[in-house]
Amino acid sequence: MNVIYPLAVPKGRRLSCEVCEAPAERMCTACTVTYYCGPVHQKADWDSIHAKICQLLIPLRTTMPFYNSEEERQHGLQQLQRRQKHLIEFCYTVAQKYLFEGRHEDAVPAALHSLRFRMNVHGLSSVELVPAYLLLAEASLGLGRIVQAEEYLSQAQWTVLKSTDCSNATHSLLHRNLGLLYIAKKNLDEARYHLANDIYFASCAYGTEDIRTSGGYFHLANIFYGLKKMELADTLYTKVSEIWYTYLNSHYQALLEARSQQTDLLGKQFVNDTGLDEAQEAEAIRILTSTLIIQESTSTKAPQKSILILKTLSILYYLMLECSKAKEYAMKALSLAETYVSEEEQRFIQELLSVISAEEKQP
Amino acid sequence: MATFPPLPMTHTRLAILARQKLPCSSKKIPRAQLIKEKEDIDYYLEQNFKGLSKEEVAAHRNSYKKSICVDMLRDGFHKSFTELFALMEQWDKLPEAAKAQSLFWQQRPLEDQPDKLDNFYHYLTRAEAAERKGYYEEVYNNLYALACYFDNSEDKWVRNHFYERCFNIAQLIKADGGKKEAEAESHMGLLFEEEGELLKAAEHYEAFHELTHGRLWKDGTGQLLNLVACESLVRTYRLLSDRMLENKDYKQAIKILIKASEIAREGNDRSMEGEASYYLGLAHLASGEYETALTVLNRYSEISTSLDDDHGLGRAYEAIAKALQSQGETTEAINYLEKFVTIARNNLQSLDMIRACTMLGDIYNEKGQYSKASEYFQQAFSTAMELMKTALMDETKVHYGIARAHQMMLAMKGYIESADSNGLNCLLSWKETRTQIEYDPILGESRRATEDNIYQLPDAEEETRRSPENQ
Repeated sequence: MNVIYPLAVPKGRRLSCEVCEAPAERMCTACTVTYYCGPVHQKADWDSIHAKICQLLIPLRTTMPFYNSEEERQHGLQQLQRRQKHLIEFCYTVAQKYLFEGRHEDAVPAALHSLRFRMNVHGLSSVELVPAYLLLAEASLGLGRIVQAEEYLSQAQWTVLKSTDCSNATHSLLHRNLGLLYIAKKNLDEARYHLANDIYFASCAYGTEDIRTSGGYFHLANIFYGLKKMELADTLYTKVSEIWYTYLNSHYQALLEARSQQTDLLGKQFVNDTGLDEAQEAEAIRILTSTLIIQESTSTKAPQKSILILKTLSILYYLMLECSKAKEYAMKALSLAETYVSEEEQRFIQELLSVISAEEKQP
Repeated sequence: MATFPPLPMTHTRLAILARQKLPCSSKKIPRAQLIKEKEDIDYYLEQNFKGLSKEEVAAHRNSYKKSICVDMLRDGFHKSFTELFALMEQWDKLPEAAKAQSLFWQQRPLEDQPDKLDNFYHYLTRAEAAERKGYYEEVYNNLYALACYFDNSEDKWVRNHFYERCFNIAQLIKADGGKKEAEAESHMGLLFEEEGELLKAAEHYEAFHELTHGRLWKDGTGQLLNLVACESLVRTYRLLSDRMLENKDYKQAIKILIKASEIAREGNDRSMEGEASYYLGLAHLASGEYETALTVLNRYSEISTSLDDDHGLGRAYEAIAKALQSQGETTEAINYLEKFVTIARNNLQSLDMIRACTMLGDIYNEKGQYSKASEYFQQAFSTAMELMKTALMDETKVHYGIARAHQMMLAMKGYIESADSNGLNCLLSWKETRTQIEYDPILGESRRATEDNIYQLPDAEEETRRSPENQ
């Protein structure tokens, strides 16, 4: 019974599609609180986010139960708020992950959900809406809908401009997306300006050597690469890979150390952990692989840099428990290292390989 | 949900039909066109009306610091940005650190000093551009210019940062035979010397010296770099040895000072050589090796004579006299000290004079020639009086008093030992007047010394006046 008739809906109550806001004609049978204009949108929403949050939506969209005391009512309200906030974050992360994986179409409904909950919780002109706008803009850019992306970004920029207390992190994100927009519009000067702003704000928020700053460098490098300024692009790519290498290597070393110290005592296994969320992992993979491709295509003169990237990728996959890929990259790095660089480097890679194969056998 | 922009909709069949039929629908301007028109309008306005461009707006809205950073990044100077950013963070932290140590921090934030930021931008970007192309000399020059720019008391730490950077870059410059490297070493040496880390400073100066050895490089003021190296090295060694002497580590100190004097000799600068041997002599003296001290100090006195350096000669004589005195050869010591006194007197070096006289007095005191001792102490005392330095005056006063007392002791003892009525009379009269008496064993009578009236208390003077009646 998933078809509803708009005319049969009680007067004054308008049911609209979850995705496009058009009058609804269908309903999700699992939660019975979500409506769609047609099967196309229902399927899109289900594939993107609804499957994950279907049951979570029920308490938010049904009327609140009757509470006997003021205290309980307050408690209920608080819980509702908390649920909404959780959903905001959840949808946001999911959308982000889709974006990094390049599934822009899927990201849209999730981002829309995040935006809608944000509006409910924070109001229409809050800075909190900006990240969601930015996601939508990025998704639109990915889909090639530049105009729509610009619309979202203008919206976001306006919100930021009006607000007085906007965090550096948000500023950074806004400028990064504006930068991407102008790249797409082929206005490279503007793009460089915005990416520079992005790096500045990200540095203010996290420091210059943080992985969250590296994205700005990466896009900037892409611009210079496009402009055929290879030296410049090269230093920037190197910077990006160094940032990631330092970060991942420190995690890797910490893990090794923890293992060597404690396995004997408790026989407990340490779970591999990148310290990143899914979106960041996806971003890392994307950035590093494209850097690797560029590095390999431009020069065979600097094997050091290629090795660095290969090592970083290998560690990343190892920490993400994808041993076969980790092994592949480590082997590549080793073969390069054998011909070019010092023994120390080779020893490091061999050690890494042995750790990976040990991990592979265990499960 | 009014503000929410619609996404591409899939309309129901009916709706599509309805739209097609509506007369106004064809005139509806799509959003894309609207936005495009808006862009055209913006462009038109920017071209035809003198308003603010986007960049001008940004410059007004943002802080200067941010504009500089963004300008750097736009052109891809990310290393400069990282460096500047780190420096700015440190700059912000300094006042807090100063507050924690309850120091008054008067330095303005970097934000208020656009000329400094401009300098950073100018030199750092140039340095980075040069570095990218591998022109390390250019990099060095730019960084060094920055270091020079910040060479003032309050920005010392910035200068030090760039000295270190220069040092690292200089290692890569090979074309000039190491001149830049040598310069960088000297800067590092200076840096550590100022911080008081003398061992590290010495290390860098040694490298500096080695690099400039046998080269005819000159610095900006036309001085030979090798000479500069020798000077700095000798100075550092001396400071190091001072520290060691304080810790009574004589062997090490002497070893280092020997090195210093060897380097001074290489430097072909007589006065430096003399200086080095003087300190070496003092170290030998302190460790108790008097013979070696004497030979070294003699060399110093020779050098000083050949250079007509009276001050140095005086110091040499003083040190030689000390060495001789410690060896017990007092007559020789007295010779040297007298020479020292004349030099000091000729050059009007009152402090030297006092020191010399005191030493002479001490020696005579030990030898038992109290009248001579008191004579010299008196000289010291009167010189100190002229200088009006209370601490010195007090010290010499005590010395003088002791010598005088010793002098009187002899006379007293003579009277007591003679044990006749005359002696008794003299003793009694002295007891009444308490003035100076001198023992004359031949005449057997006492006579009051015609005393200098510098060191006499008022009541003592009164007593002197009354004394003839008592006699």
